[in-house]
Amino acid sequence: MLSGLINYTYSTLAIMKSYKMAWRNLWRNRRRTIITVASVFFAVFFALIMRSIQLGTYDYMFKNMIESYSGYIQVQNEEFWEDRIVDNAIEFPGEIRKKMLEIPNVKEIIPRFESFALASSGSRTKGVMVMGIDPEKEKLLSDVQRKLIKYRLSDNAVEELKKEDIPEDVKKNLELFKGFTYASDRTICIELGIKERDSGLVMPMIRKHALVENGYIEIGKPGALVGDRLATYLGLSKGDSIVLISQGYHGVSAAGIYQVEGILHLPAPDIDSRIVYLPVDICQELYSAPGLLTSVVLHIDKNDDTSIDQTLSSLDSKLDEPYRVLGWKEMNETIVNQMDADNKSGMIMIGILYLVIAFGVFGTVLMMTAERRREFGVLVSIGMQKTKLAAVMVYEMIFIGLLGILAGIAVALPSIIYGYYHPIRFSSNMARMWEDYGFEPVMAFMWIDKYFLWQSVVVGIIVIVAVLYPVRKIIKLKEVNALKA
Amino acid sequence: MITKTAWKNVWRSKVRSLVVISSVAVGIFAGVFSVAVMEGAMAQRLDDALNDELSHIQIANKNFRANNDLACFMENTDEMKQKIMTLDEVRSVSDRIIVVGMANSATKSSGVQINGINPDEEKHVLELDRKLKPGTGNYLDKSGRSNMAYIGEDLAKELNIIRYSVTKEVIDSLRVRDVPQKVINKLEPSLEVRFKNEKAFNRELKKVISKEEETKYGYIIKEESQTYRENSRMLLTFIDKDNYQTGAVFRIAGLFDIPNKMFESSQVFVLKDDLQRLTGLSDGEEHIITIRLKDVSSTRVVTDKLKEMFPEMEVLNWREIQPDLAMMEELAGIMYGMFMGIILAALAFGIVNTMLMVVLERTKELGMLAAIGMNRKKIFRMIMSESVFLSLVGGVFGMIFSKIVITLTAKHGINFSGYKEGFEAMGYSAHIYPHIGNDFFVIVTFLIIITGILSAIYPALKALKLDPADALRTE
Repeated sequence: MLSGLINYTYSTLAIMKSYKMAWRNLWRNRRRTIITVASVFFAVFFALIMRSIQLGTYDYMFKNMIESYSGYIQVQNEEFWEDRIVDNAIEFPGEIRKKMLEIPNVKEIIPRFESFALASSGSRTKGVMVMGIDPEKEKLLSDVQRKLIKYRLSDNAVEELKKEDIPEDVKKNLELFKGFTYASDRTICIELGIKERDSGLVMPMIRKHALVENGYIEIGKPGALVGDRLATYLGLSKGDSIVLISQGYHGVSAAGIYQVEGILHLPAPDIDSRIVYLPVDICQELYSAPGLLTSVVLHIDKNDDTSIDQTLSSLDSKLDEPYRVLGWKEMNETIVNQMDADNKSGMIMIGILYLVIAFGVFGTVLMMTAERRREFGVLVSIGMQKTKLAAVMVYEMIFIGLLGILAGIAVALPSIIYGYYHPIRFSSNMARMWEDYGFEPVMAFMWIDKYFLWQSVVVGIIVIVAVLYPVRKIIKLKEVNALKA
Repeated sequence: MITKTAWKNVWRSKVRSLVVISSVAVGIFAGVFSVAVMEGAMAQRLDDALNDELSHIQIANKNFRANNDLACFMENTDEMKQKIMTLDEVRSVSDRIIVVGMANSATKSSGVQINGINPDEEKHVLELDRKLKPGTGNYLDKSGRSNMAYIGEDLAKELNIIRYSVTKEVIDSLRVRDVPQKVINKLEPSLEVRFKNEKAFNRELKKVISKEEETKYGYIIKEESQTYRENSRMLLTFIDKDNYQTGAVFRIAGLFDIPNKMFESSQVFVLKDDLQRLTGLSDGEEHIITIRLKDVSSTRVVTDKLKEMFPEMEVLNWREIQPDLAMMEELAGIMYGMFMGIILAALAFGIVNTMLMVVLERTKELGMLAAIGMNRKKIFRMIMSESVFLSLVGGVFGMIFSKIVITLTAKHGINFSGYKEGFEAMGYSAHIYPHIGNDFFVIVTFLIIITGILSAIYPALKALKLDPADALRTE
């Protein structure tokens, strides 16, 4: 009977594929497999969510920085970047513009005239950034017009709204977001938690009490747009006057008084609290620099890293001194540096997590090997090749890793997809803290990207390292000793 | 007895136990050390904020903070100061005039807040006088020349007052600071060339040295290459008491160097007498009274007392002036707890697996113990203790190791020079001295014990479910 059993086992072994055996082996000790898979799952899940939030938030912040201010690519006077003064403004004659537009990725050239001034209204004064823009062309990039505030939840508006017949939770949120401003119906609905079915009822009330009138600026007509935080500080609203005092081209004194045409809300607090937009020609007039620009922003078609690098290098080859080409990374060095530091710290955290999990996986492998020593001995004595046995072991570990990764992805994915479409917006204290550091208080998620692959690579490495031990044991196995175990 | 058995049990399978123990040790070490780095950075930020920027409590006219208006001053501040000094908890007070204006050099200008101070008083409230950058001059001196200003290094850079050039002396000092000759040779072509600001110098550096060399030695080269003429001039302009534009040329007395670049580039300190003359404010008309306490912990109590004392003024302590700092301090504990929690949760998987193994491989033995009359409670306790021992031994090793590493690194600090710019933009120093209080180790020890217990619950329940008769029969 024993010989029959051995015969049977032998024949099945010969027929059965290694991976099939490995799969069955996994379920011989179901609990242990599940716990090990769970540990890998835990690490993968955490790592995915953390990475998604980190990368997504950087992406969001960069997009904000870029789209509300610097743009992806700028061309400036060589001197201007190092010394941001009006004296370093230059002309951008037609032939230079033509050269830039020859590059396929460059769609439009957006003029800018940037400088600093002391802004005052009444007795309050503040150093501000003055930005001369072409209001029409600017729509392609920072789209200033869409950032004009539409609703303001002033104390008064909140009081009035509370008297109206609106859902209770919206009322509660009103209190929380008192003093906030919104540029679109969508954002106000999200923040106040107005559900779609209620919006038909609530939005008219909000329009009635919180709507803000705003105009826009145009070329040739004096007028200014002011950041929300700056306007609050200077006590400005539409129709008020703002006085700008500064130093113009070659030391000429510059002073002007402009009517505020609109208040806008920029997501980056650092910019919002000190920006004044003027039409570019009015700005040139203020600084006595007709026809000069401090920089031009290029509106580009494709904005992925490779296209930008390509465009940068072809611009570099076409433009000579004194023109200088700058990419967004170079223009936003500080924030890139900050995000880089944050990114590294996040990676260290995940590294620690994986290290701990690796130990756990290794422990499991160790136990599996120890308890199956005798079994290995039997299998090898009845003629199973050691390489095949090792292959079974490798498959087992691969399965554990794979199950962990798949489970991690399966559970993390819905949250990531949901988060991608619904970024988390902080309120109250937390928001204040982020804003004090100059970031918009938003936590965004990154869409499925390379970071998914990285988790698999790390788990793969853990599995490979862990499996080396049993493979070595099997290769060095002495059947006689093993059978005695 | 049970604990002793449990302890011996741990060592029955040495390799397996050692794997678990070392995983706990590594996890705890990595966690505690990371927390110490974070805590070090935060504690430094808090210290800097209190010592250089805020002090403990500030009193101002109710409208001043919202408007920053010159006209919103307090009257009879001398009397107020005397009253404040009667409180036992107060160490020192100082008052300031504050105006918002522009600082202009020959080529550049920048918006700043100008603080008119009395240096003798100010020295006891803030430590800015001790943050003087060596070789750049002196702190303000009441008996010295008038129209002197004490400004931040960053503002000096922004105004092109600090320039850059690599001179023969710079080369020598770079050698002293262990910059390799290979790198120094690359700087030769730019010898004696003057760069008007940091950006221009950066650009030149990027051209001549490689990226790795820049991250490693860039900041040393930049530090050494700074040139600065003492008594450089700048023009301060602002609006006076009667709403007229006014201003005066100030000479720079010295530069201060602190981690918070925002503060450095936006604050100018001048003598109060000069600012009084220019703005038309008289003695006793000040904007802010800054109060330093003997002990920070009495902040809340003293704030309340002062609020009562001066009901018509705005009394704010540092927590209220910078809620982000206060929140950071409060949230830090939660953050560290979460961080350790995630690591311990990951460790728990390994422990559960091992303990489960322990129970399964000892089925027969456990059955035997039960059969000879060991009660279930004791079996449960034995397995619990074994798990706690496993995690605690690892934890203690991890903590000892992290304590050693923290002490070693705290001596000279860890310099994240590559991220200096980003750190300092947020007010943090890039040179971090890891630090963690001993109470944290106590908390971590508790967390480890809890992890050990929680991880053993499932395996221990498994052991309890064993039927002695069946268990005895297993192979």
